[in-house]
Amino acid sequence: MTTDLDLKSTLSKRRIVGMWRMLTGYRAIFVGAFLCVGLAAVCQTVFYYLLRYFTDDVLGVEGMRHMLPWVAAGFLGLAVAQGVFTFMGGRWAAKTSESVIRRLRDYLYDHVQRLTFAYHDKTPTGDLIQRSTSDVDTLRRFFGEESIGLGRIVMLFIVNFTALLTLNVRLALISVVVVPLVVAISIYFFRKIGQRYEVFQEEEAKLSTTLQENLSGVRVVRAFARQEYEREKFEVTNRGRYVSGRRLLLLHAIYWPTTDVLVGVQLVIGYAVGAGMAIDGTITVGTFLAYMGMLTWIMWPIRNIGRLIVQMSMALVSFDRVSEIIRVDREPLDVGTHRPGGRIKGEIVFDDVRFAYSEEMAVLNGINFRAEPGQVVALVGPTGSGKTSLVNLLPRFYEYQGSIRIDGVELRDYTRRDLREQIGFVLQEPFLFSRTIKENIMYGVHREVTDEDVYRAAKAAAVHDVILRFPQGYETVVGEKGVTLSGGQKQRVTLARTLLKDPAILILDDATSSVDTETEAAIRDALEELMPGRTTFIIAHRLQTVMNADLILVLDKGRIVQHGTHDELLTQEGTYRRIYDLQSQIEDELEEDLAAVTATPVQPTF
Amino acid sequence: MEEEVFEDDETNTPLSGRTVTRILQQVVPYWKLVIFFLSLVVLITISDSIFTYFGKLLVDDAIIPRDPVALRSILTNFAILSIISAGIVFGFIFITGLLGEKVRYDLRRKLFHHLQELTFSYFDKTAVGWIMSRVTSDTERIADLVTWGLLDVVWGITSVLVATGFMLFINWRLALLVMITIPLLVGVAYYFRRLILTQFREVRRINSKITGAYNENITGVRVTKSLAREDKDLTEFQKLTGMMFNASYRANVLSAMFLPAVQFISALGVAAVIFYGGLLALRGETTVGQIQAFIGYVTFMIWPVQEMARVFAQMQQSIASGERVFSLLDAVPEVMDKPGALETAHLEGDILFDDVTFYYEKDKPVLRNFNLRVRPGDTIALVGPTGGGKSTIVNLLCRFYEPKDGRILFGEHDYTDLTQHAIQSRIGMVLQTPHLFSGTIRENLRYGRLDATDDELVDAARLAGAHDFIVTLENGYDEQVGEGGSKLSVGQKQLISLARAILADPDLFIMDEATSSVDTLTEALIQRGMETMMEGRTSFVIAHRLSTIKRASRILVIEDGRIAEQGTHAELIRAGGHYYNLYTRQFRREREVALGITN
Repeated sequence: MTTDLDLKSTLSKRRIVGMWRMLTGYRAIFVGAFLCVGLAAVCQTVFYYLLRYFTDDVLGVEGMRHMLPWVAAGFLGLAVAQGVFTFMGGRWAAKTSESVIRRLRDYLYDHVQRLTFAYHDKTPTGDLIQRSTSDVDTLRRFFGEESIGLGRIVMLFIVNFTALLTLNVRLALISVVVVPLVVAISIYFFRKIGQRYEVFQEEEAKLSTTLQENLSGVRVVRAFARQEYEREKFEVTNRGRYVSGRRLLLLHAIYWPTTDVLVGVQLVIGYAVGAGMAIDGTITVGTFLAYMGMLTWIMWPIRNIGRLIVQMSMALVSFDRVSEIIRVDREPLDVGTHRPGGRIKGEIVFDDVRFAYSEEMAVLNGINFRAEPGQVVALVGPTGSGKTSLVNLLPRFYEYQGSIRIDGVELRDYTRRDLREQIGFVLQEPFLFSRTIKENIMYGVHREVTDEDVYRAAKAAAVHDVILRFPQGYETVVGEKGVTLSGGQKQRVTLARTLLKDPAILILDDATSSVDTETEAAIRDALEELMPGRTTFIIAHRLQTVMNADLILVLDKGRIVQHGTHDELLTQEGTYRRIYDLQSQIEDELEEDLAAVTATPVQPTF
Repeated sequence: MEEEVFEDDETNTPLSGRTVTRILQQVVPYWKLVIFFLSLVVLITISDSIFTYFGKLLVDDAIIPRDPVALRSILTNFAILSIISAGIVFGFIFITGLLGEKVRYDLRRKLFHHLQELTFSYFDKTAVGWIMSRVTSDTERIADLVTWGLLDVVWGITSVLVATGFMLFINWRLALLVMITIPLLVGVAYYFRRLILTQFREVRRINSKITGAYNENITGVRVTKSLAREDKDLTEFQKLTGMMFNASYRANVLSAMFLPAVQFISALGVAAVIFYGGLLALRGETTVGQIQAFIGYVTFMIWPVQEMARVFAQMQQSIASGERVFSLLDAVPEVMDKPGALETAHLEGDILFDDVTFYYEKDKPVLRNFNLRVRPGDTIALVGPTGGGKSTIVNLLCRFYEPKDGRILFGEHDYTDLTQHAIQSRIGMVLQTPHLFSGTIRENLRYGRLDATDDELVDAARLAGAHDFIVTLENGYDEQVGEGGSKLSVGQKQLISLARAILADPDLFIMDEATSSVDTLTEALIQRGMETMMEGRTSFVIAHRLSTIKRASRILVIEDGRIAEQGTHAELIRAGGHYYNLYTRQFRREREVALGITN
């Protein structure tokens, strides 16, 4: 395929070198594209030579009438040649850029999914998507269109200037006197335009943030009747964007006529000298006509140089932004000295485990515990106490200090792939992919599964009936372009996905907190199906979810402050007891109420 | 990103005359500017043609007769024209651009104002991303069409006409010959543009899929990694990039053909000029300068034609944008103030639901003949299964929707006789998913009451139980909360939204499942704040936590759009009906376990 080149090897301190290396495999046709563009420029210039011949030696010269069809055919021939070269240049440039960009897209896609959790934690998703899409597109345009445009401009200038030199050296030199000035002004203006463009982009971004917040907060806006306030807020950003747009516009409006005048000055000087020479007889009328044509094609590239500088610098910025991602090291999936060979048993030992996202903030600080195969371990504690971080160490999503052993083997000796294939996660926020329900359920398995297997998993997750109620059943597409599932339904589909995966270690990270009570009960039943025979970690806020655990760990600020079974912990003063009291107080009251209104003790309803 | 996803409906919209008229109407307020820039455009085409004509004069009147005086006067005129033309260029770039900015500004303003009027029913069925694209990119396209698009078309047409006029004036026989190529040029240009556009539409379609794939790849990266799905996902993605390569390469090859094709046609014109011009010259019926000017006019012609082809090809897309924008502007709000509606300072008296019927879709009634009277200061708890109608009651109460039948009264007023502002400005609301705006905590709190002093702000935060955590933040009340409050936890956001509601000091307080997604300790904190809030204030509470519900002066069990049961907690427990079942079912089992252990 196209990913044979490791793009990491193309990185260089010098961006131009990096870009050149990125073209590996397509350099020949890329250079070919430039040559074609150059040849097209040559055709353009030969046109003026032919014009000179036509004017001086054919037009109005007796006896040359028979040359007329040949000259006309010559012009047509040149046009055809120029067209072919232009086309080939465009085609090869397109081939280069599309191939290189395809390779880059594939690489980035794969790269991003192989970067560490630590990287994803600190990188906003919007930013990564932005870089993978619009920055890549800027590069595509640069390789395919702008670099060719740049080549065209350079070639036109060189070819026509050389041609002018052969026509008449003095004339040629006089024809470029304003060039340094135009270049200087272009650079100045386009640097300024670049700055104002950035401001303008920021204003645009502000406007869309204001709009987006207004729309997603529409309930709050209405509930406080703040429409007027919101209108004013929008007015400010809309006006700001208008003003910055106008300021940007002004620069463009000044730049183009300014260079127009300079070009005009150049033309007047050139024509004055050239026409003077023609009047003197130093050059022929035909030479003067050829000169006029070439002069146009020298001025045109010069005027556009500023725009190209901007495009070039934008492409370099995008290249940097993309390189920054490529530069980050991947997390090796298949490196490890221990291959378990089959299903792991699931004995887990934490021995003085420490972990920090950044150096100053320790998240886990000396964690010690032991879980036997098949045991249920519950993690309890306030937000930020380190519960999620702890379970995230098991599939080696993060690097840790200290020792974690599964079946007596240090975690670091396993390959990440083996670990991840044996560990199943159910998260608080269920995530489904925009594909069919069936594909979603099968998403995590790497073996062949039958439809029956899928149904069985769905049944166990109490979602089979729900799925069958959709018109397309298991082939229903979920997500933006398909059916919207409720939070509880989504959660049960992810449960089915995990069931089908059949992991040896199961991690339930607050899996039931965002669903209503009915669904919670259904999910809890399904979970009970899922847990036997696996070492299970449960993170939960509601104690009833954790009461049956073999081991409850109460975490606070990265340490285990209490551990034991529900029974043991209730007899101790501490966080666990406090949470328990808060939660059971209500139920006590209910029980009293029930007792007060019913003469006999309440029988359990099931 | 979002834009890409919502561009799918761009397919073949027929050119609708009405939409075009409406798009053009956007510049009517600025008709003076339009006339001004269009006149400048006409002037610039004339000056372009004169420049070419100067070339002819230079050859025929100065060089061939060897006349330095004529040369000087021609070049002087040339210089003067250069300066005039620079002035015109400045004028039309600035004025056209300015007009574009104005149109964009106006459209966005109109859209935003209209969005503030639209009712929830609109937002329920319209995705935020869709609306965003209308306000940001569609307005852009409309503004471009009525400014640069209009300019290019006018420039293109007048350029062709003026150049033809000059050619006819210079040598009518040559001109007639050259004119044959013009329709050919226009035809080929238009045909190619259409072809290219169709191909690029395919590219955009695949591109939005690729964006979607990236989006899912990145937002779902944790799931992908924990399922070790990387290899398969890459293989699937490579199929997409392969399709993209084919479509995009094809589109670009077509594009690369465009310029050579039109250039070839104009070269036919040049060859004709050379051949026929040469013949005429032999008879003394034309001059070198004339032929040179003709070559200039003919080769120049490809640019206006190219621009016009571009605009016409893109027009379809702009008109589709126009249609979507106007559909948004034409959406009628379902709730509107009656003429002469009352603006009262406070909501007073009983709240009465009088035989209220409501549905979102006609054949699926949500509330049927619903009756309810609430006395000032009462706390009403709404319980019952999802989809039973609890949220609908609250939405009707706030007049986010209006009853389809029956009426709702605040005191003696049917609430449709009041302004929406009179009702909604007196309501405080705490929702299940707290929403904050980017800005500081202080700004977010002040959203509740814009003229609140700092002391009042702090008091409200204290009452809500938010003060303690706010002061531990680095910048205290001036801490930035991030976009949508992303730098705070859900619990913290909920505390702030509660403080915001307290600050508003509303006549009516509404709480919708506000504690379902926070941990137990935070929940207790929020609970306490709520109780402060509800004291002596008419409140509606949707909740499934017993502690809140128990304190209600009346509990309504809502099932299938009716009140299945109502009363105080004690009454309902005693009745042993729906409420009793609901809660014993929910809490019994865990209670059993707990009792088993504590005994």
